[in-house]
Amino acid sequence: MAERDNRLEPNSAYASALKPKSKENRFLANMRKHWMLYVMILPGIVYYLVFKYLPLAGSVIAFQDYQIFKGMQGSDWVGLKNFLYIFSYQDFYTVLRNTATIALYQLVFGFPAPIILALLFNEVRLMLAKRIVQSLFYLPHFLSWVVVGGIVFELLSSQGVINMVRGWLGLETILFMQEQRYFRSIVVISAIWKDVGWGTIIYLAAIAGINPNLYEAAVMDGANRWKQTLHITLPTMFPTILVLFLLNIGNFLELGFDQIYNLLTPMTYSVGDIIETYVYRAGVLQGQYSVTTAIGLFQSVIGFALLWIFNRMARRTEQGLW
Amino acid sequence: MKQTYGGKLFQLFNYLFLIAAAATMLMPLLQLLAVSFSSPIAADSKEVFLLPVEFTTASWAHVLQNEGLWLSFGITVYITIAGTLISMLFSVLTAYPLSHKDFLFRKPIMLGIIITMIFNAPMIPFFLTVRELGLMNSLWALILPGVIGTFNMIIIRTFFMGIPKELDDSARIDGCSDAGILFRIYLPLSKPVMATVSLFYAVGYWNTFSRAVLFIRDPEKWPLQMKLRAYLTSPEELAAVNLILGDYDFNTTTLKAATILFATIPIILVYPYLQKYFVKGSMLGSLKE
Amino acid sequence: MMKQWFGKSARLSVLASLLAAALIAGCSNGGKTPEAPGDSGEDAKSVTVRVFKSHMGVGTIPDSSNDHVKYVEEKTGVIYEMMTTPPGSEPTEYLNLMIASDDLPDILRPIGGVEQTLIKQGGALALDEWLPKYAPNVWKNIPEEAWDIVRSASPDGHIYYVPKVYLVPERAPMIRQDWLDKVGLQMPATVEEYKEVLRAFRDKDPNGNGKPDELPTSGREFGKWMDHLFGIYGVAMWEGVPEWDIYEGEIQYAGVSKNMKASVAFIRELYEEKLLDNETFLNKGDVWTAKINNNLVGSWYHLPANLRDRYTAMLEGAPDAYVVGMPMPKAEGFEGYVTQKSMGEPEWIIPAAAEDKAAASLKLLDFFYDKSNDEFIRFGLEGQQHEVVDGKKVLLPPEDSRPIALGMRNLTTKEDMDIRIKETIPENMQKMVSDIFAVSTADARRIAGDGLPNTVYEGFPDIQSHKLFQEYLTKIVIGEWPIEKFDEFVDRWYKAGGDKVTERVQEWYSNVKK
Repeated sequence: MAERDNRLEPNSAYASALKPKSKENRFLANMRKHWMLYVMILPGIVYYLVFKYLPLAGSVIAFQDYQIFKGMQGSDWVGLKNFLYIFSYQDFYTVLRNTATIALYQLVFGFPAPIILALLFNEVRLMLAKRIVQSLFYLPHFLSWVVVGGIVFELLSSQGVINMVRGWLGLETILFMQEQRYFRSIVVISAIWKDVGWGTIIYLAAIAGINPNLYEAAVMDGANRWKQTLHITLPTMFPTILVLFLLNIGNFLELGFDQIYNLLTPMTYSVGDIIETYVYRAGVLQGQYSVTTAIGLFQSVIGFALLWIFNRMARRTEQGLW
Repeated sequence: MKQTYGGKLFQLFNYLFLIAAAATMLMPLLQLLAVSFSSPIAADSKEVFLLPVEFTTASWAHVLQNEGLWLSFGITVYITIAGTLISMLFSVLTAYPLSHKDFLFRKPIMLGIIITMIFNAPMIPFFLTVRELGLMNSLWALILPGVIGTFNMIIIRTFFMGIPKELDDSARIDGCSDAGILFRIYLPLSKPVMATVSLFYAVGYWNTFSRAVLFIRDPEKWPLQMKLRAYLTSPEELAAVNLILGDYDFNTTTLKAATILFATIPIILVYPYLQKYFVKGSMLGSLKE
Repeated sequence: MMKQWFGKSARLSVLASLLAAALIAGCSNGGKTPEAPGDSGEDAKSVTVRVFKSHMGVGTIPDSSNDHVKYVEEKTGVIYEMMTTPPGSEPTEYLNLMIASDDLPDILRPIGGVEQTLIKQGGALALDEWLPKYAPNVWKNIPEEAWDIVRSASPDGHIYYVPKVYLVPERAPMIRQDWLDKVGLQMPATVEEYKEVLRAFRDKDPNGNGKPDELPTSGREFGKWMDHLFGIYGVAMWEGVPEWDIYEGEIQYAGVSKNMKASVAFIRELYEEKLLDNETFLNKGDVWTAKINNNLVGSWYHLPANLRDRYTAMLEGAPDAYVVGMPMPKAEGFEGYVTQKSMGEPEWIIPAAAEDKAAASLKLLDFFYDKSNDEFIRFGLEGQQHEVVDGKKVLLPPEDSRPIALGMRNLTTKEDMDIRIKETIPENMQKMVSDIFAVSTADARRIAGDGLPNTVYEGFPDIQSHKLFQEYLTKIVIGEWPIEKFDEFVDRWYKAGGDKVTERVQEWYSNVKK
């Protein structure tokens, strides 16, 4: 514990050396001393300005009746009309509720999964086994959702494994994909299956950074594996967990079109129709770029508000993203 | 080390669980592999499970002779290597000042960057920007517009922030500049995260697709994923022979399977290679000797 | 080492800032990159025309020295330059990008309603005067009726595009003759008989494997490719999507008609009795295909022209397999038909900005509609598009390294179809396929809503995507909802904008009929 705090403290030696001087002097002294830092970040800043902020300014089309042929200059300004159009959509609240529900499930079940898996990997003593199993877990990440969707449909079909087992047990066949009560679980489980191995990589890197001496000392103190995990492994992973959590929160309402689109059937619309599938129908297929952008802005504003709140909370104990 | 009874039981279950789960993850690729080595009729009738039915190497022979595929392969290898190197450089250079307590604009810049993660630019303005830069049809269009993955950069930053500041101090006393500290102390200590982020970038570049669709018009510059997509949507062209005319030991289904694997296996092999960096405790080991 | 590195970084940053400066300058101009004028260099009198077509697939884009290009140039004085969408792209989105970046070709094949974007925003060239003058073959080969539909699709009644014309039905209900023989039944003439046949398929093991695994009839997710079950009740249906046709004297959405209710009730019964594959709405394309290939399905709806691979696979497991076309079984009080959409879909449009090339573009297009060029259009040049095997011209398959040859004709008559069957279907199957076409042609009917522009759906994405319809159809059929729920659907459909869309369609139709 003490060690971690130490690391996060500002560099006291330098802070005190700079303190007595006036604000401007302090600024100049800092610049002189750390000018390299300011040069280093320049390429990054240019990148963000050019490739992110410049195109982002194009989001104003959310407040226009954007006509591609006329361009941004030639299109009329319509104020909040596009937002009103979205909010007046009769199924908007269903769509929003579905999105938020699935997002919450993903956060509660999907987010901790790679953390737990990384800890389980950490308990594997046989090096070779560990490496092989890790490499296998990472495979499904390379399958596209079209392929995974096909696998899920097949697995849950009447001839699929699950129904085969049910058959042996004398149970009736269930067509899982056309019953809405299973839809959300299928989404969450398939997402975990596909990306949990990939997600562990980052935590494994964090665990790899742990000093083996710490474990040895803990063993001397009589700590068992569980205690070691609790008091050494997890705390070391914590900054990474927190950062990933915050980034997740920021994109809360973005579930990923590909997955849902490939698992959705008309029978599960009422629970599985989400913002992205609505955007696809209303924006992309109808070529309404203003509407698409307006929905995107709406999602982002919500995400940003959530991130702001959680980041403040995070700053109380640890450190936030900014 | 002695193990309790409970510990042993846990170990057993842990192994069983991990092996069972890993098996499910291997299966889809095994099946693709089996299909790619099966006869067309068996493949189309979905008879193939994990082993080839009526084994034949015809599909693979045909795919490996496809020059267009190798050309795209070369392009993808090129952008993967070049892109990963450039991205790592840009990301480290950005992450280091942002992890540094003495860097004055740390917070506002960080906030500015995070905003770009949450607010996405609409496609048309993004397209126009890249086009105005003259990057159309250039491989740079596949690298520069995403040269810093914000997520990756933040991961690096988080790691840098975890490095004890005493190391900075002692290095500074030894006469190191900020750049010196970054390259002599931070980077060697961050091997696991460098390996991780390089992997993330490499996989990202390997799977380059949507940007290529927007910016690359010249088919000779198509990366592998785009070529793959071309074949998956109109697989007759992959056959490049008139399937009506003769009997062949492959058809579009088996060729598709072989092509997907051709485009996937190389990048999958990168991970086991990088794994060694995750195994050793390489960071703090150097601190306390 | 440190210095060396730092030098590099400094250079990089300078480069990057230069880049930024260049960009900001480039953008604040708001200027467009100057277009290179399309001069053809050596041959001053030939004009270069940029032709855009989506999904041309793999192959190289021919340059002006290509023999095919040269041949066409010789005949027309036009050098064609092909442009296409990259594989895997959303073609509509891609075209929209071209419009947004002012980078339109001289003539293009629009997709996903792009033609309406251009027409509405003043970006399309009216062709009324140009066509008879520069493209006489196009003008006379496309039936007048089709031109009328095109006129009706624009607000000012002008011809803004050349339509696609498809004069034969592409789809057909099919049934396994060998199965009928095994269960000892005749081709069904009525719905009742059809049900009897399906029951026999279910119970009498027509595929002879001793397992009750037969799926008497099947369809695909979203209710695709089961149009025959709707068609029996006179529902205009196109790949699982309700179309517009005359119901109770007026043009209406087939999805809310009484006919639809009757057919949904019928399909619900089939599902309940397991006469319809109970996984119909979960069948992805490949799964559905595999079921047919593996001799599990007795009766289905698809493109006869694509039967070749399926039939080959069927023969593996059932050497006496034979597929025939099924005439629409008669339902009491309804008139069944096979939905045919023949004309009005946009095929070629010329942007207003390319007016100076319009004459050349149309000349090029006309070349492909000139009957005397048929042989060349179909087979191209020897060694490039075809080879001669046993004295017969055989088309070469597309290939990465081979230049694609431009084709612009999209006018399919019965004659064209016969030729296509000869060319692409092996001899032992040609009669079977032709016979299927003959049966479906007899039942086919062009629907009133043929050629309806998709602008009628503007602002109502759920109506356009048929989401509401699909949800009710599937849930009623699988028995989750009772058939009475259908009335609720009709209600909701009108409330969700269906009333407005119907109004627009009826207005459009009155213009067509004029």
